[in-house]
Order: sequence, then C-alpha cells, then structure tokens
Amino acid sequence: MTEARSETTAVWTILVVRTGGFAGLRREWRVSSTDEPSVDWPALIDACPWTTRYPPSRSNDRFVWRIEAVAPPRTKKATLPESSLTGSWAVLVDQVKTVTAR
Amino acid sequence: MVYGIVPPYLLARIAELDDKKFAHAARSARRALEQADPMRAARLLFSLDDDNTLVVEVGDGPNRTISDAANAETLPGMEVRSEGEEPTGDPAADEAYDGLGATFALFSEVYKRNSINGAGLPLDATVHYGEDYDNAFWDGERMVFGDGDGEIFRRFTISLSVIGHELTHGVTQYTAALEYQGQSGALNESVSDVFGALVEQYTRNQTAAEASWLIGEGLFTDEVEGTALRSMKAPGTAYNDDVLGQDPQPGHLDDYIETDDDNGGVHLNSGIPNHAFYLVAEALGANAWERAGQIWYDTLTGPLDTKATFAEFATATIEAAEARYGGSSDEADAVRAGWSGVGVVLEKSGSQTRSRSTS
Repeated sequence: MTEARSETTAVWTILVVRTGGFAGLRREWRVSSTDEPSVDWPALIDACPWTTRYPPSRSNDRFVWRIEAVAPPRTKKATLPESSLTGSWAVLVDQVKTVTAR
Repeated sequence: MVYGIVPPYLLARIAELDDKKFAHAARSARRALEQADPMRAARLLFSLDDDNTLVVEVGDGPNRTISDAANAETLPGMEVRSEGEEPTGDPAADEAYDGLGATFALFSEVYKRNSINGAGLPLDATVHYGEDYDNAFWDGERMVFGDGDGEIFRRFTISLSVIGHELTHGVTQYTAALEYQGQSGALNESVSDVFGALVEQYTRNQTAAEASWLIGEGLFTDEVEGTALRSMKAPGTAYNDDVLGQDPQPGHLDDYIETDDDNGGVHLNSGIPNHAFYLVAEALGANAWERAGQIWYDTLTGPLDTKATFAEFATATIEAAEARYGGSSDEADAVRAGWSGVGVVLEKSGSQTRSRSTS
C-alpha cells in the first residue's frame, strides 16, 4: 500500500524514443506527469511489463522503441520491437504522444 | 524478340499447339509445365531462328501478389493484383508490382538467382499499411509499405531503391543471414542499399558515373530540405533540414556511431560499407551491377559468418574478387582500395588476408 501511494504522488518523467525504420530517423517524445495531471500516469506505467525481455525480431527496417519512466530514485527502462508495441505499451506511448502534441 | 511473363494457362495452350511450325515452342512449353512448381511463373524468350521457326526459351519469372491493408495494421490485407494481371490504377499497388518485377529481373538476369530463395519463392507485398505510416519493412515473409504522412514522407513505393532494398532483405535472410545487430546489422542494411541502388541503375541503364547513388530519392515531400534518405556517394549529405536535422550517416570507420538505439545503429553505420561499395564501383566504372555487384553478390552467397564484422565482410569481398577475377586483377585492387578508403584496413592480400579488429 505504501508503494502504491508513493507511486501515485510521485512526479514521473516519461521518455519515448523511436529509432530505426527504413529511414533510420530518431524521434523523441517526453512528458512529465505534471503536464497532464488528469491522466493516471502511475497506473499506465505499472500496467506495462517492464521486466519482459523481447526476442530479436525477424523483421528488418521496423521501428525500435525505447521507453523510460523516471521518478527518482526509481527508473524503469524497456526496449521493444515495433511488433511488441501493443496492449499497455501502446496505451502508454499513445498517451505520451497525445500530451506532447498539445 | 519479346520478353513475356507467361501465365500457366498460356503455357498450356502453347503446349497443345499441333502445328509443325511451333513444334519447338510446344516442346518448350510442355517441358516448362512438367518442371513447373504450380507456384512458379516462367519467363519465355521468343525469337525466330534461321528457318523462321518460332523458338521459345523458358526462363525464370516472378510470381507477385500485391495486397492492400486499407490503412489497417493487419497483414496481408486484401489481394488486389497477382501475377500477370492488369494494373490496378492505384499507384502504390502498381509501383510495388513493377518494383518487385524490376528487383526480380536484376537478381535473375544478372546473378542468375531465381527470386528471394533461389527457388522461385513468390514475392508478396502489402501496400497502404497503417495510417500515415512512415515506413517500409520486410517482416520475414513479405514486403510492407506505408503511405507516409504526406508532410515529411510520401508513399514508400515511390522509390524503386526502397522496393529493391526490402526485397534484398529477403535474399540476405536466405543467404548470409547477417544478424540484425551492430556491425553485422549495418552490413545487412548496406547490402540492401547496394542492391536497392543497383536495381534502379539496372532498370534505368545507368553507369556508375551517371547514377545518383541515393537511397529513397523522392520520398521526402517538398517541405523537407533533402533529396533522399541516404547517399552512398557522400554519406551524411542526403538531407539537412530544420525539423529532421542533418543526415547522420558516417562514411568512414573513424566516425562509427556507438549506440544502443536502432539495433546498434544499423541504419547509421551502414553508410561505411555503402561508401566502400560506391568507391569500388566508381573505380571500376561502367555498370556497377556487373563487376562490383557480382563481387558483393558472391560475398553474400559465399561463406560468411552471420555475425560478420566490417573487416570480415571486407575480407570476404576481396576473396570473392580474387576468386572470380584473379588476385592481381583490377577488380581485386579496386575492392582493397574501396575498403581502405573507408578506414577498414586489411593486413594482407590474397588468401592470407586478415583484418585488424574493428568491432
């Protein structure tokens, strides 16, 4: 319970980096949980499988996604192939992109 | 003399011809049908011999199927054009169909390779993948093309080098199987750029001196300050834009980029072997797909570690040049000079060639 309360009140910085693709262009989106307080950022972060290790993709030229969520002293990092950007990962990334687009 | 891609029903019709004048053609068609895998297409070369008899030679032909994802991200999508069918009127579908044909032609006519796997594998592609999708990729079984966002990128089928690049990923998968990480990943990317560029040059009948050596020319909209995504002639100069920044590709080993992103920078460091190939092609002159391309093709299909470093690949290209053209040939000298020009230095020539560690 203490951990959950702490997560809820912490200020999270979320960084999403997309690299690769045929063009090899790097794109980056960054938000602070204070940018859009109405979003339940801790819940979105907790829903993601940060410890999952993804096997190498058979694909070539697909995007590679690096996602980091930091609320010192906690840091969560994951790198995943485009084909794994589904479910809770997709929800988190879409939310970050939506907020940064405003 | 007419080249035609002949569907099986037409082969069957020719095979049934009972006219002495077409006996040779009928025999050829029957042989093609007997040997044919039902999934394989054939290419027939029609000509007249000295007696004015129709002669038909049976060769390999592509077997293309284009599907439309209708802006969803579900593959393969709905089939819109298969081998031998008329154009659809949709530029993306028709460019994909033509581009696959052009790429098949390079590998078949120049390197005698029948499709991706050397055994007539059907060529499958999907267009209109995703919404405003800024990418094209090879998923291990098919080529997939996005429409671009219309602001930075146009549709990805607009560039023949992109189509050639993606299909070559398939060829690499069935040959050297270069691991898509670090230096071997950059080599995988570079091989796709090399044959993507050669498809354009072969199709346009351009010499090495006439070619642009650009990858993805025409992909950027007019809003972007840039001519293409990559330049094999001058890596790092393809674009310089306020929004996209400057093309980051290195063209020399001294500038190799160490990064965890993009599978270890496979789309960045590919500039180094790309430029080495350009230097070889420039030195040899004439048509790059002939000697320079042949050496790279021999390397790709020869013994090569799946985790090959730049230096190991370079060594393999020199050995391939020596095997085909001789140890003191212009070709072998050009390959040695090409790698030297990008900082991949080899200690000895000939079968004793061993490279310094560069990884």
